[in-house]
Amino acid sequence: MTISLVFRTATAALALTASLALTAGASAQDITVTHPQGETTISGVPEKVFTIDWAAFDNLNALGVEVAGAPGSNAPAYLAEYVSDDLFNVGSLFEPDFEGIAAEQPDLVIVAARSASTYPQLSEIAPTIDMSINNADLVAGVQGNLEQLGEIFDVQDRAAELIAELDAKIEEARAAAEGKGTGLVLVTNAGSLGVYGPDSRVAWIHNELGIPSVMDDVEDGDHGGDGISFEFLLEANPDYLFVVDRDAGVGNEGAAAALLDNELMHETTAWQNDQIVYLDPQAAYITMHGYTGLMLMLDQVIEGYNSAE
Amino acid sequence: MRLLTVGIVLTIVLAIISLFVGVSDVSLGALLSSSAEDRPMQVLVMSRIPRTLAILLAGSSLAIAGLVMQMIVRNRFVEPSTAGTTESATLGFLVVTLLAPGWPLMAKMIVAAMFALAGTALFLRILRFVPLRDVLLVPLVGIMLGGVIGAVTSFFAYRFNLLPSLLAWSMGDFSGVLRGRYELLWFGLAGTIMAYIAADRFTVAGMGEDFTTNLGLNYKRVMTLGLIIVSIVSAVVLVSVGSIPFLGLIVPNVVSLMVGDNMRRTVPWVAVLGAAFVLACDIVGRIVRFPYEIPISVVVGVIGSGLFLYLLLRKRHNAA
Repeated sequence: MTISLVFRTATAALALTASLALTAGASAQDITVTHPQGETTISGVPEKVFTIDWAAFDNLNALGVEVAGAPGSNAPAYLAEYVSDDLFNVGSLFEPDFEGIAAEQPDLVIVAARSASTYPQLSEIAPTIDMSINNADLVAGVQGNLEQLGEIFDVQDRAAELIAELDAKIEEARAAAEGKGTGLVLVTNAGSLGVYGPDSRVAWIHNELGIPSVMDDVEDGDHGGDGISFEFLLEANPDYLFVVDRDAGVGNEGAAAALLDNELMHETTAWQNDQIVYLDPQAAYITMHGYTGLMLMLDQVIEGYNSAE
Repeated sequence: MRLLTVGIVLTIVLAIISLFVGVSDVSLGALLSSSAEDRPMQVLVMSRIPRTLAILLAGSSLAIAGLVMQMIVRNRFVEPSTAGTTESATLGFLVVTLLAPGWPLMAKMIVAAMFALAGTALFLRILRFVPLRDVLLVPLVGIMLGGVIGAVTSFFAYRFNLLPSLLAWSMGDFSGVLRGRYELLWFGLAGTIMAYIAADRFTVAGMGEDFTTNLGLNYKRVMTLGLIIVSIVSAVVLVSVGSIPFLGLIVPNVVSLMVGDNMRRTVPWVAVLGAAFVLACDIVGRIVRFPYEIPISVVVGVIGSGLFLYLLLRKRHNAA
């Protein structure tokens, strides 16, 4: 009697589990996401989303998807208003809090760029996707990510809207820059200058906006660009300078402007015609793969061209 | 003496080369055929001369700082970057950058110098507890202390998102030097002159505390003077162009091999060779990837670590 009861309960439980699994499988379609580090299957629309990348946070936010967990520090200033205090702190970009994340059991974890190397560990804890983008084709990459996220979170319409807005903004910037001469992206860091070339994280200025570079053989020393002197700027003499100020951290805003304010720079076209555009330092260096950040920089470029007239 | 003249002439030749190496066209012909308002002359006055002066000042004063350090610690393998001095100055610079970013560079330099002074004093303090005065143990202690201080610096830089700036400070680089942006380095010259005036005292202090006291000198005062010179020079160079490793180590050692250890004789040598070495390295850094530049600390580091190894191994060989 007891045995049969146990048996019957067990059978019922099994049947229940099976039918639950069946309905789950049937109602929410599984999405298989192909990304740089493999394929990840996501079942249903994820509700609890963690991101270990601010650009992904930016994109999710623009799509209207609620994020449950984000890095504990270094939120770009232009996203600050969207970062609420109840966000779960997933740790830092390079060292996520694996145990904390495992305990929280998120439905989806997004890594990218700086946090991409944590994918192997994270993918064992929760469904994880890598949204890293190739800098050489940055805009298409951002749009691809938006589309992908739109599909995952079932907000395809919003994604299409954002993609169209991005296209329109690029077109506007392109038109503004048309025929205005050459450009050069400069990175300043504690008194030193570097130039970013056509393969760097700001390559979109040349590739997408069609602004000709004053030189095409910059090798780009990865982070700081190629080291140059003020004489170099004087001789290369680009019409427009786009400045990424890496000192603009704590209270150092305006460090680049102070650095460039010197006798040799005063001889250059960009200085004399007030054609120096300061890009949002966080957007340009950390979160250039995010929708809001990219739109912000495009606006700054457009403003730079329009105000110079 | 005649050799020293050769050294000085070599330095002057290098300085002249340095004036004519760069992206802009500043050849003798261009200079002669243009007036004072034209570009070649402007570039020469605003960029080339300041840069060359900055190299001369930084090179000679850092080498002298190394020499003074070796005298007061009585160890050949000690210099500001193997005694926690440079790291302390960097920490000081970071702290003042975080707390008072608006302060003028001069004030920041003074804070960095105070930290350098405290760090070096700590190093000397720790050395007192090291019973075995092994030649290699002393710089090892200094490098470890520097590592600890450097770790604290990195921690704060990481927390406040200043790691890139920290990296830039630790990479000495003359590419940003312009008229109006290097003048603090003249304090280095003051340090060099002070070292020359007090050279005899340092020589005596280098023979030990008892010996110094027996000769009627105030040992503590000589040590303090040495510490101040080293700290100010390290801080000034760090704040102006960033740190340049090994320089204070190689130059005094080479000079010691050539002319011995009497500091009054070695000070001019060290100053001249320090300047010449940095000049040569900076010219190389400007030419190798023209029109881009390689930071001076990379060039000096590559050549310097090779020379350092040579000196170490040579010593070992002699001892064996």
